Amino acid sequence: MSRRVAGAAAAIALIAGLTACGGGSDAGDSPTLTFWMYQPRTPQAGQIYEDLRKGFEKANNVKVKYVQIAKDDYNTKLSSAIASGTAPDAGVLDQPLVSRFALDKTIVAVPDGTIEEGAYYKGALDTNLSEGKLFGLPLDQTTVGLFYNKKLVPTPPKTWDELKATVNQIHQADSKIAGIVVPKGDGYGAWMWPGFVAGAGGALTDDANKKVLFDQQPAVDTLQMWVDLLPSSPRQITDSDNAFANGLAAMMISGPWDVSTIKDQFPDLDFSVAPLPYKTEPAGNIGGENGVVFSTSKNAALAWKFLQYITSDTNNAKFADAFGGYPTNIKAAEQTAATIEPQQAAFLEQLKVAHARPAVPQWIQVNDEIIAPALEKALSGKATAQQALTEAADKTRSLLGWNS
Amino acid sequence: MANPVLADRSTATPDKPGRRPRPGFGRRDHVVGWLLLAPALVYFVAFLLYPAIAALYYSFTDWNLRSSPSWVGLANYTDLLFDDVKYPHFWKSVQVSLLYTLVAVPLTLVAALGQALLINAIRKGSNLFRLLLFLPVVTAEAAVGAIWRWLYDPQYGLINIILGWFGVPPQNWLNNPDLVIPALAFISAWQCGISMIIYLAGLKGIPDSLREAAVIDGAGPVQRFRKVVLPMLRPTTFYLLVTGVIAALQVFGLVYVIFSAANKSVTGGPEQAGLTYVLHLYLFAFRYDAMGAACAMSFILLVFIMIITALQFKFVKQEAA
Repeated sequence: MSRRVAGAAAAIALIAGLTACGGGSDAGDSPTLTFWMYQPRTPQAGQIYEDLRKGFEKANNVKVKYVQIAKDDYNTKLSSAIASGTAPDAGVLDQPLVSRFALDKTIVAVPDGTIEEGAYYKGALDTNLSEGKLFGLPLDQTTVGLFYNKKLVPTPPKTWDELKATVNQIHQADSKIAGIVVPKGDGYGAWMWPGFVAGAGGALTDDANKKVLFDQQPAVDTLQMWVDLLPSSPRQITDSDNAFANGLAAMMISGPWDVSTIKDQFPDLDFSVAPLPYKTEPAGNIGGENGVVFSTSKNAALAWKFLQYITSDTNNAKFADAFGGYPTNIKAAEQTAATIEPQQAAFLEQLKVAHARPAVPQWIQVNDEIIAPALEKALSGKATAQQALTEAADKTRSLLGWNS
Repeated sequence: MANPVLADRSTATPDKPGRRPRPGFGRRDHVVGWLLLAPALVYFVAFLLYPAIAALYYSFTDWNLRSSPSWVGLANYTDLLFDDVKYPHFWKSVQVSLLYTLVAVPLTLVAALGQALLINAIRKGSNLFRLLLFLPVVTAEAAVGAIWRWLYDPQYGLINIILGWFGVPPQNWLNNPDLVIPALAFISAWQCGISMIIYLAGLKGIPDSLREAAVIDGAGPVQRFRKVVLPMLRPTTFYLLVTGVIAALQVFGLVYVIFSAANKSVTGGPEQAGLTYVLHLYLFAFRYDAMGAACAMSFILLVFIMIITALQFKFVKQEAA
């Protein structure tokens, strides 16, 4: 008898356990838009997202459901959701992923007439391109600039020549201080490098004609410039933790995230940020996130409306700030510019001349596995800039199947 | 990475015939038995067996996690091994992991045995020291990474300061490609707590009579260590060697933390000197959209680990003498 009871209890427990895993579905009259995004960085940011959500719900008589996921897990969770057919209506996507997702038709192109292209920064808008078509709207953007220690560098260098001169002068005056933290030949350095190449009038690729260009003069000159900075900026000094903030390096290339970190942790450091020095024209790189609509969405029109809403003149400044970047909407950026701290102004200025990464689905791999080692090869003196880049460009052509 | 629990070989006792009749099919015990086993079986099938089989299947496909996988046969395997356009750093990552294993495992064993001998020798406060030496094992990997970045700092690092007392010029540990692996191996030796505890258990298991007999025969401390302690510890050393090699070949978290924290870059340190096999695998799985190739890498590693382990069982002495 007791066995039978035990058996039945076990069976019930098991069935209960299994059914508990299935979720309920919410029913309602107004359509619900699901939007995936990163977890808010701060409670204040979370509040901004909430306010925006309520504003949209009220104006359109719909429901918006945020699914907020830790940034580190976001891409994996999103991929699993897509694979299992439970993709959201819309979501945030890291810039270099747009062309990948467009390639396998996971996301849909921006319908004609949805947006006024001139309302957005060109660099940010271009990060949504795949095969010449837009597949998302830019939500926020970021870039890197030249951080300089005001005590060591009274006026920031504008051009490469001025940069080299300043760096030499600083290291000669005090051999314990490095002129600048020269970026490394790693994935991060390879992300910053194109901003300098554009400053010499060059580009890494010509996507439309499937041409690799980073073995040409502007790219070679750029890498050579980095190499030339090294003697006055020894790695032994600049590899120290927080070399710039500790006053060991007079300048560094970094993004807005370091402004607040340095202000918090090194309040005594008198520093500011200038646009990147250039050779022939001001330029910079770009990072940030885009908003995309998934091909399985049944509320696509509403999803585009929501993306327009968070990138609008009135809302984009709030949204981008909560996200930790700068507005992509030009009018919204003007509001930001009016209230911004002096150290942040240079980034916003530079984003006007920022260039999007090549819209190539394999770009992250090219960046990490081919360009980064080539930069390091030249920086460590194991090859000349030209040799390293010629080899890297050939490898890239083979990998992408671009044969010229 | 924690070591697995000591394997217990004694559980596999053969069935004795005629002891008890096997329960017949359809009997109540039988049903209840299966039901009670069900949670464990469901867990095993859903979280261990199914993923392993699925990974094997995906290793024969081109799959980006999002769209449906397309069958490519052995292409992932052959491309990984022979196509250096698609996978320019595959062999580099093999080399990095092998070098790491070669340096880290002996260093860890020596450190663990040294610590175990010290703790075994002291009478008072051995619990305290055992706890202190075990702390690195239970410290969060991110904290370990941050602490060691400081210790290895080229300007202020304690390691350079100590080496400076002996006239060694300051080194740029984590940024000089030649020093990356030794630096990482040293951290793993510092985290040898689990091996230390197992060695300590081994030391306690050496009968006092053996030591006393050796003393009576006139053996000094060095001879006693070489002729009594080391041979008696052979099964322990063998176990730690086998599990240590397996763990070292799969090292991932440490390199990921060390190089991504400060450099915002996960590409494995200077000139890919810290691009271990599993870090390389991770990058293809989650950064370069090539889950199929990553699954193939994991099976190549599995086969490699099986071969290495079999070789160790064949060629390394494992019985106490």
